[in-house]
Amino acid sequence: MTLSIIDTGKFPRLEDMTKSELIQHLKETVKPEEGIIPAYIFSHPKVYELEMEKIFLKSWLFLAHKSEIPNKGDFVTRQMGEHSVIVTHGSDGDIHVLLNVCTHRGMKLCRMDHGNEKSFVCPYHGFNFKNTGDLAGVPFQKEVYGDTLDKSKMGLKEIRHDEYAGLIFATFNEEAVPLDEYLGDIKWYLDLAFNRAEMEVQGPPMKWVVNASWKLGSDNTISDSYHTLVSHGSIAKLGLVPSGDYSKYGYQIYTGNGHGLNLGMPNPHFAFPEELTEEYKERLSPEQWGVLEKLKNMIVCVSPHMMILISSMDFKGKQVSNTSFRLWQPKGPDKIEITQWQIVEKNATKEWKELSNQTNSLTFGASGIFEQDDSENWTDITQNSKGAYHLQENTFFNYTQGMHKKPVDDFVGPGIAYENKFNEANARAFFRNWLDQVTAE
Amino acid sequence: MKEVIELQYEIEQWLYHEAHLLDNLLFDDWLELFDEDCRYRMPLRVNLQEKDVPDFTDDTLLFDDDMETLTLRVDRLKTDLAWAETPPSRTRRNVGNVRIQEYNENQVTVKSNLLLYRSRSTEIGAELVSGERTDRLVKRSGKWRLQERTFIADQTTLGTRNLAIFV
Repeated sequence: MTLSIIDTGKFPRLEDMTKSELIQHLKETVKPEEGIIPAYIFSHPKVYELEMEKIFLKSWLFLAHKSEIPNKGDFVTRQMGEHSVIVTHGSDGDIHVLLNVCTHRGMKLCRMDHGNEKSFVCPYHGFNFKNTGDLAGVPFQKEVYGDTLDKSKMGLKEIRHDEYAGLIFATFNEEAVPLDEYLGDIKWYLDLAFNRAEMEVQGPPMKWVVNASWKLGSDNTISDSYHTLVSHGSIAKLGLVPSGDYSKYGYQIYTGNGHGLNLGMPNPHFAFPEELTEEYKERLSPEQWGVLEKLKNMIVCVSPHMMILISSMDFKGKQVSNTSFRLWQPKGPDKIEITQWQIVEKNATKEWKELSNQTNSLTFGASGIFEQDDSENWTDITQNSKGAYHLQENTFFNYTQGMHKKPVDDFVGPGIAYENKFNEANARAFFRNWLDQVTAE
Repeated sequence: MKEVIELQYEIEQWLYHEAHLLDNLLFDDWLELFDEDCRYRMPLRVNLQEKDVPDFTDDTLLFDDDMETLTLRVDRLKTDLAWAETPPSRTRRNVGNVRIQEYNENQVTVKSNLLLYRSRSTEIGAELVSGERTDRLVKRSGKWRLQERTFIADQTTLGTRNLAIFV
């Protein structure tokens, strides 16, 4: 047995390590079950490289909601790990996820955010691809290639994809378990956000860049209601929520594969449009309806980097909820592009939709008064996690909260549920899953 | 002609004064520039194929505010828990290319360009927000009040960590 680099007292220079040494170092220093999460994993370029390979090449990644591309020809461009993809509603009626790289010489084929096109013409040499990915035309083909170019082998790279509750996911990994299995029990909760009624995305996603680790977004999403006391203390001061500790009431639930949530309840008010009660009851199981009826908020993490949020507040004299979802899209070891969508009940009144959208803009999104303070935390933590001293000392952060607690067995939904949302159990589970992924052979 | 030049001057001075109030964190005074019945909105800029349609959308609003919510935002900034602006960003609003679109005695529609420089904490990297404002000002008791502002940023992905600042 060789000594770990920590035991030898040698400086762990990650850049000089082989991949297996780096994996070994991660196994020795990241100890999720003990609540030990080292600083360097939040910003080191070598760790990021490993994540891109071991997580973003392997996992199912969320790309788009089906209501964004309702008609044949509709498309959106999205990011999948480090790569741009076009998600199309093809002329054949099927959804396609196509690598946004011309198969001729690598030009980015589509530079638009969204639109409706039968085909995509490469700006470089004019190779013309159908919205199903097939290569349809090559300028002067006969003259420049003779009979040597087989167009049927030059279609855009189609990426494996599947959907649940209108959510389109894709993966670069042909060996990945089916999406249904990957999501597992988190589907029960996704239903509350996306299947409770017919839901409709409200416009294209807003995007903004924060100099932070993508993992801080996910870790906050999956487990951290505790920060609302202080980080979002201003909201309680303004009277938008009753008190600082309001956010502790409810459950923290882990459903496996790095997915989990914080579920805030009970809510003395019904936070959804009353007139849709029948639709909710019809679409949800009685247990799910029982939760929705009393729901205050729900913050779901679908690993690796998706968040779904139902939030409610007193606004203009009534209880209003809004539902949004987002990606903590990695753009480097210390940079994310937050991409946020709003979604609302299709059959809600115009007035409700406006109120719901307005509360979302006010509280979350780039200008959101909750959101703003989070970006401050994550920027500074990411910056603070850098540097030689942390590597030398193996500085770690403390994720031990709630280790003395036991899960409850009487919660109606699936997963390991703890009563009271102030707990870091889900973060420990998230980092266990993360560690297993980045250290997998 | 004289009338138009005077109006141009008056509106420019109004915009400079507004920028001064925001740059100097005088938010209560800033709120007083608004008409009670105001809208303050920031539609999303998007990349589109078509060149003959607007390259922004009202379906997604980065700000979607009225007097009540603007007041909430200002009240929040005044609490000691508004971490996003603790310490406050240094901001410098350069307002230019002021173009009056329509006017009568009591109402003016004006477009202007905004280049907003933001410095947070000790960071030396500049966070810039650039875009176009379309403002509708109405005259109330002899004073111009902002009834509607629509700001459209030039970036489709914003290069600032949040909009804890006003545009």
